[in-house]
Amino acid sequence: MRGLLATLRNAVAEARANRAALVSQVAIMVVNDIVWVVFWILFFRRVGTVRGWDGERILLLLSVLTCAGGIALGVLANARRVGNMAVDGDLDGVLALPVPPLAHLLVRRMEAVNIGDLVFGIALFASIGSHTVARTAVFAGVVIAVATLLTGFLVLTGSLAFFIGRNEGGELGFHAMVLLGSYPVDVFAGAVKVVLYTVVPAAFVSSVPARLIEDFDVVRALGLAGVAGLFAFAGWATFTLGLRRYTSGSVWTRP
Amino acid sequence: MTGNRWAGEAARTAALRVLAERGGLAVTLVFYVLVTVVLASLWRAAVGANGGSVAGYSVVAITWYVAMTEATTVSIRQRLISDVGRDIGSGAIAVELLRPAPVLGVRLAGELGHVLPRLAACVVTGGVLSTMVSGPPPEPAALALALPSLVLAVACNLAAQYAFAGAAFWLRDAGSAWFLYQKLVFILGGMLIPLEALPDWMHRVASVLPFRAMSYSPARLASGHFEPVLLVEQAGWLVLLLAGAAAIFRAGERRLQVVGG
Repeated sequence: MRGLLATLRNAVAEARANRAALVSQVAIMVVNDIVWVVFWILFFRRVGTVRGWDGERILLLLSVLTCAGGIALGVLANARRVGNMAVDGDLDGVLALPVPPLAHLLVRRMEAVNIGDLVFGIALFASIGSHTVARTAVFAGVVIAVATLLTGFLVLTGSLAFFIGRNEGGELGFHAMVLLGSYPVDVFAGAVKVVLYTVVPAAFVSSVPARLIEDFDVVRALGLAGVAGLFAFAGWATFTLGLRRYTSGSVWTRP
Repeated sequence: MTGNRWAGEAARTAALRVLAERGGLAVTLVFYVLVTVVLASLWRAAVGANGGSVAGYSVVAITWYVAMTEATTVSIRQRLISDVGRDIGSGAIAVELLRPAPVLGVRLAGELGHVLPRLAACVVTGGVLSTMVSGPPPEPAALALALPSLVLAVACNLAAQYAFAGAAFWLRDAGSAWFLYQKLVFILGGMLIPLEALPDWMHRVASVLPFRAMSYSPARLASGHFEPVLLVEQAGWLVLLLAGAAAIFRAGERRLQVVGG
Protein backbone atom coordinates (compact mmCIF):
# COMPACT_ATOMS: atom_id res chain seq x y z
CA MET A 1 0.00 0.00 0.00
CA ARG A 2 2.86 2.39 0.83
CA GLY A 3 4.33 1.72 -2.59
CA LEU A 4 1.05 2.59 -4.29
CA LEU A 5 0.67 5.79 -2.29
CA ALA A 6 4.20 6.83 -3.23
CA THR A 7 3.44 6.12 -6.89
CA LEU A 8 0.25 8.18 -6.69
CA ARG A 9 2.20 11.07 -5.07
CA ASN A 10 4.68 10.92 -7.95
CA ALA A 11 1.87 10.98 -10.51
CA VAL A 12 0.38 14.06 -8.83
CA ALA A 13 3.78 15.77 -8.73
CA GLU A 14 4.35 14.97 -12.40
CA ALA A 15 0.97 16.42 -13.39
CA ARG A 16 1.67 19.57 -11.35
CA ALA A 17 5.21 20.00 -12.65
CA ASN A 18 4.07 21.96 -15.69
CA ARG A 19 1.46 24.13 -14.06
CA ALA A 20 0.72 26.25 -17.13
CA ALA A 21 -0.03 23.14 -19.23
CA LEU A 22 -2.17 21.70 -16.42
CA VAL A 23 -4.26 24.86 -16.11
CA SER A 24 -4.72 25.28 -19.87
CA GLN A 25 -5.74 21.64 -20.37
CA VAL A 26 -8.16 21.74 -17.46
CA ALA A 27 -9.62 24.97 -18.88
CA ILE A 28 -10.06 23.42 -22.35
CA MET A 29 -11.95 20.46 -20.93
CA VAL A 30 -14.15 22.74 -18.84
CA VAL A 31 -15.01 24.76 -21.97
CA ASN A 32 -15.75 21.50 -23.80
CA ASP A 33 -18.10 20.38 -21.02
CA ILE A 34 -19.79 23.78 -20.95
CA VAL A 35 -20.65 23.32 -24.65
CA TRP A 36 -22.50 20.13 -23.72
CA VAL A 37 -24.39 22.01 -21.02
CA VAL A 38 -25.33 24.61 -23.64
CA PHE A 39 -26.53 21.87 -25.97
CA TRP A 40 -28.75 20.28 -23.33
CA ILE A 41 -30.18 23.62 -22.25
CA LEU A 42 -31.00 24.50 -25.88
CA PHE A 43 -32.44 21.03 -26.47
CA PHE A 44 -34.77 20.96 -23.48
CA ARG A 45 -35.83 24.60 -23.93
CA ARG A 46 -36.99 23.62 -27.38
CA VAL A 47 -38.57 20.22 -26.73
CA GLY A 48 -39.69 20.45 -23.07
CA THR A 49 -39.70 17.17 -21.14
CA VAL A 50 -38.74 13.95 -22.93
CA ARG A 51 -39.74 10.66 -21.28
CA GLY A 52 -39.38 12.08 -17.79
CA TRP A 53 -36.12 13.91 -18.44
CA ASP A 54 -35.74 17.67 -18.24
CA GLY A 55 -32.88 20.15 -18.19
CA GLU A 56 -32.07 19.89 -14.48
CA ARG A 57 -32.10 16.12 -14.44
CA ILE A 58 -29.82 15.87 -17.46
CA LEU A 59 -27.35 18.27 -15.83
CA LEU A 60 -27.33 15.97 -12.80
CA LEU A 61 -26.51 13.09 -15.15
CA LEU A 62 -23.73 15.15 -16.71
CA SER A 63 -22.25 16.06 -13.32
CA VAL A 64 -22.04 12.39 -12.27
CA LEU A 65 -20.61 11.32 -15.63
CA THR A 66 -17.94 14.04 -15.75
CA CYS A 67 -16.90 13.51 -12.12
CA ALA A 68 -16.60 9.74 -12.52
CA GLY A 69 -14.96 10.16 -15.92
CA GLY A 70 -12.50 12.60 -14.36
CA ILE A 71 -11.48 9.96 -11.82
CA ALA A 72 -11.33 7.00 -14.25
CA LEU A 73 -9.71 8.85 -17.16
CA GLY A 74 -7.86 11.60 -15.29
CA VAL A 75 -6.67 10.21 -11.95
CA LEU A 76 -6.42 6.57 -13.09
CA ALA A 77 -5.41 7.56 -16.62
CA ASN A 78 -3.78 4.25 -17.56
CA ALA A 79 -7.16 2.49 -17.31
CA ARG A 80 -7.77 3.58 -20.89
CA ARG A 81 -4.28 2.56 -22.04
CA VAL A 82 -4.19 -1.03 -20.78
CA GLY A 83 -4.91 -2.44 -24.24
CA ASN A 84 -2.22 -0.41 -25.98
CA MET A 85 0.30 -1.26 -23.26
CA ALA A 86 -0.48 -4.96 -23.60
CA VAL A 87 -0.07 -4.88 -27.39
CA ASP A 88 3.04 -2.66 -27.39
CA GLY A 89 4.79 -4.61 -24.64
CA ASP A 90 4.90 -1.69 -22.23
CA LEU A 91 4.26 -3.72 -19.08
CA ASP A 92 7.80 -5.08 -18.55
CA GLY A 93 8.71 -2.38 -16.03
CA VAL A 94 5.72 -2.86 -13.77
CA LEU A 95 6.06 -6.66 -13.67
CA ALA A 96 9.51 -6.36 -12.11
CA LEU A 97 8.21 -4.28 -9.16
CA PRO A 98 7.06 -5.74 -5.79
CA VAL A 99 3.57 -4.21 -6.12
CA PRO A 100 0.23 -5.45 -7.48
CA PRO A 101 0.67 -4.77 -11.24
CA LEU A 102 -2.82 -3.50 -12.06
CA ALA A 103 -3.11 -1.19 -9.04
CA HIS A 104 0.36 0.23 -9.71
CA LEU A 105 -0.44 0.74 -13.37
CA LEU A 106 -3.67 2.58 -12.60
CA VAL A 107 -2.15 5.13 -10.20
CA ARG A 108 1.07 5.64 -12.14
CA ARG A 109 -0.10 8.37 -14.52
CA MET A 110 -2.59 11.25 -14.47
CA GLU A 111 -4.17 12.92 -17.49
CA ALA A 112 -4.43 16.64 -16.89
CA VAL A 113 -7.13 17.25 -19.49
CA ASN A 114 -9.52 14.82 -17.81
CA ILE A 115 -8.92 16.37 -14.40
CA GLY A 116 -10.89 19.22 -15.98
CA ASP A 117 -13.89 16.87 -16.12
CA LEU A 118 -13.63 16.26 -12.39
CA VAL A 119 -13.40 19.99 -11.62
CA PHE A 120 -16.32 20.72 -13.96
CA GLY A 121 -18.48 17.91 -12.57
CA ILE A 122 -18.13 19.11 -8.99
CA ALA A 123 -18.85 22.72 -10.00
CA LEU A 124 -21.87 21.65 -12.04
CA PHE A 125 -23.33 19.60 -9.19
CA ALA A 126 -22.81 22.50 -6.79
CA SER A 127 -24.65 24.84 -9.16
CA ILE A 128 -27.81 22.81 -9.76
CA GLY A 129 -30.74 22.37 -7.38
CA SER A 130 -30.68 22.71 -3.62
CA HIS A 131 -28.30 20.46 -1.75
CA THR A 132 -28.56 18.78 1.61
CA VAL A 133 -25.80 16.82 3.36
CA ALA A 134 -27.58 13.57 2.49
CA ARG A 135 -27.91 14.47 -1.21
CA THR A 136 -24.24 15.45 -1.38
CA ALA A 137 -23.25 12.18 0.33
CA VAL A 138 -25.32 10.19 -2.19
CA PHE A 139 -23.64 12.13 -5.01
CA ALA A 140 -20.17 11.30 -3.63
CA GLY A 141 -21.14 7.65 -3.18
CA VAL A 142 -22.53 7.18 -6.69
CA VAL A 143 -19.54 8.97 -8.23
CA ILE A 144 -17.18 6.51 -6.50
CA ALA A 145 -19.32 3.56 -7.62
CA VAL A 146 -19.51 4.83 -11.22
CA ALA A 147 -15.76 5.56 -11.32
CA THR A 148 -15.13 1.98 -10.12
CA LEU A 149 -17.49 0.61 -12.77
CA LEU A 150 -15.96 2.72 -15.52
CA THR A 151 -12.40 1.78 -14.55
CA GLY A 152 -13.32 -1.91 -14.38
CA PHE A 153 -15.01 -1.74 -17.78
CA LEU A 154 -12.03 0.02 -19.39
CA VAL A 155 -9.56 -2.47 -17.91
CA LEU A 156 -11.80 -5.36 -18.98
CA THR A 157 -12.17 -4.23 -22.61
CA GLY A 158 -8.52 -3.16 -22.78
CA SER A 159 -7.32 -6.50 -21.39
CA LEU A 160 -9.03 -8.32 -24.25
CA ALA A 161 -6.00 -7.15 -26.26
CA PHE A 162 -3.91 -9.76 -24.38
CA PHE A 163 -6.01 -12.44 -26.07
CA ILE A 164 -6.73 -11.00 -29.51
CA GLY A 165 -3.51 -9.05 -30.04
CA ARG A 166 -5.25 -5.80 -31.06
CA ASN A 167 -6.86 -2.97 -29.12
CA GLU A 168 -9.71 -1.87 -31.38
CA GLY A 169 -12.17 -3.52 -28.98
CA GLY A 170 -10.90 -1.46 -26.07
CA GLU A 171 -11.13 1.80 -27.98
CA LEU A 172 -14.59 1.00 -29.25
CA GLY A 173 -15.70 -0.01 -25.74
CA PHE A 174 -14.44 3.30 -24.37
CA HIS A 175 -16.19 5.39 -27.02
CA ALA A 176 -19.42 3.38 -26.73
CA MET A 177 -19.48 3.77 -22.95
CA VAL A 178 -18.83 7.52 -22.97
CA LEU A 179 -21.23 8.16 -25.83
CA LEU A 180 -24.10 6.03 -24.57
CA GLY A 181 -23.59 7.20 -20.99
CA SER A 182 -24.02 10.82 -22.08
CA TYR A 183 -27.69 10.35 -22.95
CA PRO A 184 -30.68 9.38 -20.78
CA VAL A 185 -31.32 5.65 -21.03
CA ASP A 186 -35.06 6.21 -21.42
CA VAL A 187 -34.73 7.60 -24.96
CA PHE A 188 -33.67 4.13 -26.11
CA ALA A 189 -35.94 1.16 -26.57
CA GLY A 190 -35.85 -2.59 -27.18
CA ALA A 191 -32.53 -4.35 -27.70
CA VAL A 192 -30.49 -1.14 -27.35
CA LYS A 193 -31.86 -0.65 -23.84
CA VAL A 194 -30.98 -4.24 -22.91
CA VAL A 195 -27.40 -3.64 -24.13
CA LEU A 196 -27.16 -0.51 -21.97
CA TYR A 197 -27.88 -2.51 -18.84
CA THR A 198 -25.61 -5.45 -19.73
CA VAL A 199 -22.80 -5.56 -22.34
CA VAL A 200 -22.09 -1.80 -22.30
CA PRO A 201 -23.46 -0.87 -18.87
CA ALA A 202 -23.84 2.82 -19.74
CA ALA A 203 -27.18 3.03 -17.91
CA PHE A 204 -25.35 2.40 -14.62
CA VAL A 205 -22.85 5.13 -15.44
CA SER A 206 -25.29 8.00 -15.76
CA SER A 207 -29.05 7.46 -15.73
CA VAL A 208 -29.26 5.13 -12.70
CA PRO A 209 -26.96 7.31 -10.53
CA ALA A 210 -28.82 10.50 -11.54
CA ARG A 211 -32.09 8.88 -10.49
CA LEU A 212 -30.54 7.77 -7.19
CA ILE A 213 -29.48 11.32 -6.32
CA GLU A 214 -32.97 12.61 -7.03
CA ASP A 215 -34.81 9.78 -5.34
CA PHE A 216 -32.60 7.52 -3.21
CA ASP A 217 -33.57 3.88 -3.03
CA VAL A 218 -31.54 1.27 -1.11
CA VAL A 219 -32.24 -1.59 -3.52
CA ARG A 220 -31.17 0.44 -6.56
CA ALA A 221 -28.10 1.70 -4.69
CA LEU A 222 -27.11 -1.86 -3.84
CA GLY A 223 -27.71 -2.82 -7.46
CA LEU A 224 -25.34 -0.07 -8.64
CA ALA A 225 -22.70 -1.09 -6.08
CA GLY A 226 -23.06 -4.73 -7.14
CA VAL A 227 -22.62 -3.95 -10.84
CA ALA A 228 -19.61 -1.72 -10.05
CA GLY A 229 -18.04 -4.53 -7.99
CA LEU A 230 -18.79 -7.06 -10.72
CA PHE A 231 -17.07 -5.01 -13.43
CA ALA A 232 -14.13 -4.19 -11.13
CA PHE A 233 -13.64 -7.91 -10.49
CA ALA A 234 -14.10 -8.81 -14.18
CA GLY A 235 -11.52 -6.18 -15.16
CA TRP A 236 -9.00 -7.42 -12.59
CA ALA A 237 -9.57 -11.09 -13.50
CA THR A 238 -9.24 -10.50 -17.25
CA PHE A 239 -6.08 -8.44 -16.74
CA THR A 240 -4.56 -11.08 -14.42
CA LEU A 241 -5.38 -13.92 -16.83
CA GLY A 242 -4.13 -11.82 -19.74
CA LEU A 243 -0.75 -11.28 -18.06
CA ARG A 244 -0.09 -15.01 -18.47
CA ARG A 245 -0.16 -14.47 -22.23
CA TYR A 246 1.91 -11.28 -22.14
CA THR A 247 5.13 -11.63 -24.12
CA SER A 248 7.19 -8.54 -23.20
CA GLY A 249 8.23 -5.56 -25.31
CA SER A 250 11.66 -6.95 -26.05
CA VAL A 251 12.22 -7.36 -29.77
CA TRP A 252 14.04 -10.66 -29.06
CA THR A 253 10.87 -12.31 -27.79
CA ARG A 254 8.74 -11.28 -30.78
CA PRO A 255 7.93 -13.90 -33.39
CA MET B 1 4.90 15.69 -61.51
CA THR B 2 3.35 17.97 -64.14
CA GLY B 3 0.26 20.15 -63.96
CA ASN B 4 -2.06 19.23 -61.10
CA ARG B 5 -1.54 15.49 -61.39
CA TRP B 6 -0.01 15.49 -57.90
CA ALA B 7 -3.45 16.30 -56.46
CA GLY B 8 -5.10 13.34 -58.15
CA GLU B 9 -2.26 11.03 -57.15
CA ALA B 10 -2.33 12.16 -53.51
CA ALA B 11 -6.10 11.64 -53.33
CA ARG B 12 -5.98 8.29 -55.12
CA THR B 13 -3.20 6.92 -52.91
CA ALA B 14 -4.99 7.97 -49.72
CA ALA B 15 -8.28 6.48 -50.93
CA LEU B 16 -6.62 3.18 -51.81
CA ARG B 17 -5.01 3.07 -48.37
CA VAL B 18 -8.39 3.49 -46.68
CA LEU B 19 -9.94 0.79 -48.84
CA ALA B 20 -7.04 -1.57 -48.11
CA GLU B 21 -7.41 -1.14 -44.34
CA ARG B 22 -10.79 -2.78 -44.08
CA GLY B 23 -10.54 -3.19 -40.31
CA GLY B 24 -10.23 0.58 -39.88
CA LEU B 25 -13.17 1.20 -42.20
CA ALA B 26 -15.27 -1.34 -40.28
CA VAL B 27 -14.47 0.36 -36.95
CA THR B 28 -15.47 3.72 -38.47
CA LEU B 29 -18.78 2.28 -39.62
CA VAL B 30 -19.52 0.66 -36.25
CA PHE B 31 -18.82 3.98 -34.55
CA TYR B 32 -20.95 5.80 -37.12
CA VAL B 33 -23.91 3.47 -36.55
CA LEU B 34 -23.52 3.87 -32.80
CA VAL B 35 -23.55 7.68 -32.76
CA THR B 36 -26.32 7.87 -35.35
CA VAL B 37 -28.55 5.47 -33.42
CA VAL B 38 -27.93 7.38 -30.17
CA LEU B 39 -28.58 10.87 -31.51
CA ALA B 40 -31.47 9.79 -33.74
CA SER B 41 -33.09 8.04 -30.75
CA LEU B 42 -32.88 11.23 -28.73
CA TRP B 43 -34.41 13.39 -31.46
CA ARG B 44 -37.06 10.82 -32.36
CA ALA B 45 -38.12 10.73 -28.70
CA ALA B 46 -38.21 14.54 -28.68
CA VAL B 47 -40.30 14.70 -31.86
CA GLY B 48 -42.64 12.05 -30.43
CA ALA B 49 -43.05 14.09 -27.25
CA ASN B 50 -43.90 17.21 -29.28
CA GLY B 51 -46.80 15.97 -31.37
CA GLY B 52 -44.75 14.70 -34.33
CA SER B 53 -42.70 17.77 -35.20
CA VAL B 54 -39.84 19.82 -33.75
CA ALA B 55 -38.76 23.00 -35.57
CA GLY B 56 -40.48 21.68 -38.70
CA TYR B 57 -38.74 18.29 -38.66
CA SER B 58 -40.84 15.12 -38.59
CA VAL B 59 -39.54 11.77 -37.31
CA VAL B 60 -38.47 10.76 -40.85
CA ALA B 61 -36.85 14.13 -41.56
CA ILE B 62 -34.92 14.26 -38.29
CA THR B 63 -33.64 10.69 -38.76
CA TRP B 64 -32.24 11.53 -42.21
CA TYR B 65 -30.90 14.82 -40.85
CA VAL B 66 -28.95 13.08 -38.08
CA ALA B 67 -27.68 10.33 -40.43
CA MET B 68 -26.15 12.96 -42.74
CA THR B 69 -24.66 15.25 -40.08
CA GLU B 70 -22.97 12.27 -38.46
CA ALA B 71 -21.64 11.07 -41.84
CA THR B 72 -19.91 14.40 -42.47
CA THR B 73 -18.40 14.39 -38.99
CA VAL B 74 -17.37 10.75 -38.49
CA SER B 75 -15.71 10.44 -41.90
CA ILE B 76 -13.14 13.16 -41.04
CA ARG B 77 -10.19 12.41 -38.75
CA GLN B 78 -11.12 13.77 -35.34
CA ARG B 79 -7.74 15.19 -34.37
CA LEU B 80 -6.69 16.52 -37.76
CA ILE B 81 -5.96 20.02 -36.43
CA SER B 82 -3.81 18.59 -33.67
CA ASP B 83 -1.92 16.25 -36.04
CA VAL B 84 -1.22 18.99 -38.59
CA GLY B 85 -0.20 21.37 -35.79
CA ARG B 86 2.25 18.80 -34.46
CA ASP B 87 3.81 18.34 -37.91
CA ILE B 88 4.23 22.10 -38.21
CA GLY B 89 5.45 22.62 -34.65
CA SER B 90 8.00 19.81 -34.82
CA GLY B 91 9.24 20.96 -38.23
CA ALA B 92 8.36 17.61 -39.83
CA ILE B 93 6.44 19.51 -42.50
CA ALA B 94 9.74 20.99 -43.78
CA VAL B 95 10.44 17.80 -45.76
CA GLU B 96 7.24 18.36 -47.72
CA LEU B 97 8.45 21.82 -48.77
CA LEU B 98 11.07 20.09 -50.89
CA ARG B 99 8.41 18.68 -53.21
CA PRO B 100 7.63 20.53 -56.44
CA ALA B 101 4.01 20.90 -55.32
CA PRO B 102 2.28 23.08 -52.70
CA VAL B 103 2.23 21.51 -49.21
CA LEU B 104 -1.35 22.57 -48.49
CA GLY B 105 -2.62 21.34 -51.86
CA VAL B 106 -1.04 17.90 -51.54
CA ARG B 107 -2.21 17.52 -47.96
CA LEU B 108 -5.77 18.63 -48.71
CA ALA B 109 -5.98 16.32 -51.72
CA GLY B 110 -4.69 13.45 -49.60
CA GLU B 111 -7.18 14.20 -46.81
CA LEU B 112 -10.04 14.37 -49.31
CA GLY B 113 -8.96 11.01 -50.72
CA HIS B 114 -8.92 9.65 -47.18
CA VAL B 115 -12.36 11.03 -46.36
CA LEU B 116 -14.37 10.24 -49.50
CA PRO B 117 -14.46 6.41 -49.21
CA ARG B 118 -15.34 6.72 -45.53
CA LEU B 119 -18.02 9.30 -46.34
CA ALA B 120 -19.49 7.08 -49.05
CA ALA B 121 -19.60 4.09 -46.68
CA CYS B 122 -21.24 6.17 -43.94
CA VAL B 123 -23.81 7.73 -46.28
CA VAL B 124 -24.86 4.35 -47.71
CA THR B 125 -25.06 2.84 -44.22
CA GLY B 126 -26.94 5.89 -42.93
CA GLY B 127 -29.38 5.74 -45.82
CA VAL B 128 -30.15 2.08 -45.19
CA LEU B 129 -30.45 2.67 -41.44
CA SER B 130 -32.76 5.68 -41.85
CA THR B 131 -34.98 3.84 -44.33
CA MET B 132 -35.22 0.84 -42.00
CA VAL B 133 -36.05 2.74 -38.80
CA SER B 134 -38.17 5.61 -40.15
CA GLY B 135 -38.84 5.39 -43.87
CA PRO B 136 -37.51 6.43 -47.29
CA PRO B 137 -36.07 9.93 -47.85
CA PRO B 138 -38.81 12.55 -47.62
CA GLU B 139 -37.90 14.21 -50.95
CA PRO B 140 -35.75 12.24 -53.46
CA ALA B 141 -34.89 15.38 -55.50
CA ALA B 142 -33.53 17.08 -52.39
CA LEU B 143 -31.58 13.93 -51.51
CA ALA B 144 -29.94 14.07 -54.96
CA LEU B 145 -28.75 17.59 -54.11
CA ALA B 146 -27.46 16.33 -50.76
CA LEU B 147 -24.84 14.14 -52.46
CA PRO B 148 -22.68 16.95 -53.91
CA SER B 149 -23.46 18.93 -50.78
CA LEU B 150 -21.88 16.18 -48.64
CA VAL B 151 -18.64 16.43 -50.64
CA LEU B 152 -18.65 20.22 -50.36
CA ALA B 153 -19.28 19.90 -46.61
CA VAL B 154 -16.22 17.75 -45.94
CA ALA B 155 -14.12 19.91 -48.30
CA CYS B 156 -15.14 23.06 -46.38
CA ASN B 157 -14.39 21.31 -43.08
CA LEU B 158 -10.93 20.17 -44.22
CA ALA B 159 -10.02 23.63 -45.54
CA ALA B 160 -11.16 25.26 -42.29
CA GLN B 161 -9.22 22.75 -40.18
CA TYR B 162 -6.03 23.47 -42.12
CA ALA B 163 -6.63 27.20 -41.69
CA PHE B 164 -6.99 26.65 -37.89
CA ALA B 165 -3.97 24.33 -37.77
CA GLY B 166 -1.89 26.90 -39.66
CA ALA B 167 -1.76 28.91 -36.42
CA ALA B 168 0.93 26.42 -35.33
CA PHE B 169 3.39 28.22 -37.67
CA TRP B 170 3.30 31.03 -35.08
CA LEU B 171 2.28 29.22 -31.88
CA ARG B 172 4.35 26.06 -32.54
CA ASP B 173 1.41 23.90 -31.49
CA ALA B 174 -2.29 23.61 -32.29
CA GLY B 175 -2.68 21.65 -29.03
CA SER B 176 -6.26 20.96 -28.13
CA ALA B 177 -7.73 23.52 -30.55
CA TRP B 178 -9.47 20.63 -32.34
CA PHE B 179 -11.56 20.12 -29.24
CA LEU B 180 -12.99 23.62 -29.44
CA TYR B 181 -13.26 23.68 -33.23
CA GLN B 182 -15.25 20.45 -33.11
CA LYS B 183 -17.72 21.98 -30.66
CA LEU B 184 -18.34 24.92 -33.00
CA VAL B 185 -19.36 22.45 -35.71
CA PHE B 186 -21.48 20.54 -33.15
CA ILE B 187 -23.64 23.53 -32.20
CA LEU B 188 -23.23 26.33 -34.78
CA GLY B 189 -22.74 23.81 -37.60
CA GLY B 190 -26.01 22.09 -36.75
CA MET B 191 -24.49 18.68 -36.11
CA LEU B 192 -26.18 18.05 -32.78
CA ILE B 193 -29.18 20.29 -33.23
CA PRO B 194 -30.89 21.60 -36.38
CA LEU B 195 -30.24 25.33 -36.71
CA GLU B 196 -34.01 25.99 -36.82
CA ALA B 197 -34.20 24.63 -33.26
CA LEU B 198 -31.72 27.22 -31.95
CA PRO B 199 -32.89 30.47 -30.36
CA ASP B 200 -33.33 33.21 -32.99
CA TRP B 201 -30.20 35.17 -32.08
CA MET B 202 -28.05 32.04 -32.19
CA HIS B 203 -29.60 30.99 -35.49
CA ARG B 204 -28.69 34.39 -36.93
CA VAL B 205 -25.10 34.06 -35.70
CA ALA B 206 -24.82 30.53 -37.16
CA SER B 207 -26.17 31.80 -40.50
CA VAL B 208 -23.17 34.07 -41.07
CA LEU B 209 -20.51 31.55 -40.01
CA PRO B 210 -18.98 28.84 -42.22
CA PHE B 211 -19.71 25.95 -39.83
CA ARG B 212 -23.22 25.40 -41.20
CA ALA B 213 -21.69 24.59 -44.61
CA MET B 214 -19.85 21.66 -42.97
CA SER B 215 -22.78 19.76 -41.54
CA TYR B 216 -26.17 21.49 -41.66
CA SER B 217 -26.43 22.03 -45.43
CA PRO B 218 -26.36 18.39 -46.65
CA ALA B 219 -28.49 17.31 -43.69
CA ARG B 220 -31.09 19.98 -44.41
CA LEU B 221 -31.27 18.81 -48.04
CA ALA B 222 -31.44 15.11 -47.15
CA SER B 223 -34.23 15.80 -44.66
CA GLY B 224 -36.48 16.78 -47.54
CA HIS B 225 -35.90 20.53 -47.99
CA PHE B 226 -35.26 21.34 -51.65
CA GLU B 227 -33.03 24.41 -51.21
CA PRO B 228 -30.38 24.55 -53.99
CA VAL B 229 -29.11 27.86 -52.62
CA LEU B 230 -27.39 25.86 -49.89
CA LEU B 231 -25.02 24.41 -52.51
CA VAL B 232 -24.16 27.90 -53.79
CA GLU B 233 -23.49 29.03 -50.24
CA GLN B 234 -21.23 26.01 -49.60
CA ALA B 235 -19.27 26.67 -52.80
CA GLY B 236 -18.76 30.27 -51.72
CA TRP B 237 -17.50 29.24 -48.28
CA LEU B 238 -15.19 26.65 -49.85
CA VAL B 239 -13.52 29.31 -52.02
CA LEU B 240 -13.11 31.63 -49.02
CA LEU B 241 -11.80 28.91 -46.70
CA LEU B 242 -9.35 27.60 -49.29
CA ALA B 243 -8.08 31.12 -49.93
CA GLY B 244 -7.72 31.71 -46.18
CA ALA B 245 -5.86 28.43 -45.58
CA ALA B 246 -3.57 29.10 -48.57
CA ALA B 247 -2.74 32.60 -47.31
CA ILE B 248 -1.98 31.30 -43.81
CA PHE B 249 0.25 28.50 -45.15
CA ARG B 250 2.07 30.86 -47.54
CA ALA B 251 2.84 33.26 -44.69
CA GLY B 252 3.67 30.42 -42.31
CA GLU B 253 6.02 28.62 -44.68
CA ARG B 254 8.04 31.82 -45.07
CA ARG B 255 8.72 32.01 -41.33
CA LEU B 256 9.20 28.28 -40.67
CA GLN B 257 12.53 27.57 -39.00
CA VAL B 258 13.74 24.04 -38.55
CA VAL B 259 16.66 23.00 -36.39
CA GLY B 260 19.43 21.73 -38.62
CA GLY B 261 19.10 24.31 -41.39
